[in-house]
Amino acid sequence: MTHQAHSYHMVDPSPWPLTGAMAALLMTSGLAVWFHYNSTTLMTLGLATMLLTTYQWWRDIVREGSFQGHHTKLVQKGLRYGMMLFITSEVFFFIGFFWAFYHSSLAPAPELGGQWPPSGVSPLNPFEVPLLNTAVLLASGVTITWAHHAMMEGNWKETTQGLTLTVLLGAYFTLLQAMEYFEAPFTIADATYGATFFVATGFHGLHVIIGSSFLLICLTRQINYHFTTDHHFGFEAAAWYWHFVDVVWLFLYISIYWWGS
Amino acid sequence: MTPSVRVGLITYFLFRVGGGDWCPFSGCTRNMASVAALVKVSGRLVAEAPRAGLRRLLSAAAAGGHGQPGGARTWKILSFVVALPGVAVCMLNCYLKAQHEHERPEFIPYAHLRIRTKPFPWGDGNHTLFHNPHTNPLPTGYEDEK
Repeated sequence: MTHQAHSYHMVDPSPWPLTGAMAALLMTSGLAVWFHYNSTTLMTLGLATMLLTTYQWWRDIVREGSFQGHHTKLVQKGLRYGMMLFITSEVFFFIGFFWAFYHSSLAPAPELGGQWPPSGVSPLNPFEVPLLNTAVLLASGVTITWAHHAMMEGNWKETTQGLTLTVLLGAYFTLLQAMEYFEAPFTIADATYGATFFVATGFHGLHVIIGSSFLLICLTRQINYHFTTDHHFGFEAAAWYWHFVDVVWLFLYISIYWWGS
Repeated sequence: MTPSVRVGLITYFLFRVGGGDWCPFSGCTRNMASVAALVKVSGRLVAEAPRAGLRRLLSAAAAGGHGQPGGARTWKILSFVVALPGVAVCMLNCYLKAQHEHERPEFIPYAHLRIRTKPFPWGDGNHTLFHNPHTNPLPTGYEDEK
């Protein structure tokens, strides 16, 4: 029987990177087909392929780590680097949309009436639902920290409670924001105000949904005893992502909802 | 906290609060250099002791690294005493504000709003994704009543 003389994980051949690339192609070309030829088939196929890929790829990682023990300290270090770099790339993604917002709002064009918000646009009151949304996300940051400390102390029940509360708060945020989207007196087609508002908050909302899903998976794994007191990187990665989502919201709230009104 | 620690901390903060000038009273002529020297000396004397106090403070706040006992309890308390009640207060605020319905603004056909350079790829191509007939007018005006 052969042994490796290092603690890296030489992953078994896997089809998921290929199916993931195919999913990306199908989704993007499907989007173009939908816009120009009024057919959603290709895009739906792309979405389905993407969901299947993500589910199976991450399931395999859980198997390799929690069940087969391949995630040594060194492997975990690599995973940490990876998650940090990914979140950094997402920060730059959002910087682009904040750039667009400040470009449009700091020197409002004459076509908008030379003011921000533009003429005819009634912005949302930042001290109603947006403030509640802020409280919800901040609270979820506290509950996830409770869950983390409980996990490190080996308190299974409190970890589950804290994580459940966090997931519920995330879902509550999504529900509130969806309601706001339907109630808003302005739309995405209302000059650069609507465009910057809905694109920035829309991508943020998508990230909330992704983060909540990640946390829900962590909750499922937690209930099934995957995590130990000192080895639970999947949970830490979800927590980092969740804090990032919270910070983006704070910037959105201060810039677009508050200053921009 | 030992008395020397207390003195050192108070000295430091008075120095800061006084705008970097020891004496907040306008008639005081003590100069900055001598005061700075005083703070530095007292600071050095109490340098060792504050660390123990600070460490206790940090432990209690559970702001430190992994595995400090009692950390979970602190965050649990924060969750149920600060975070969730904060959410409840904001919920109440929203509920109260929503009690009085405000009437919708009149429709003015501004050229920069309700832009339709190409039709939306759904429905009749003229409604946004989260269209609300009561609050979102079409380019031609409100749908429910003009």
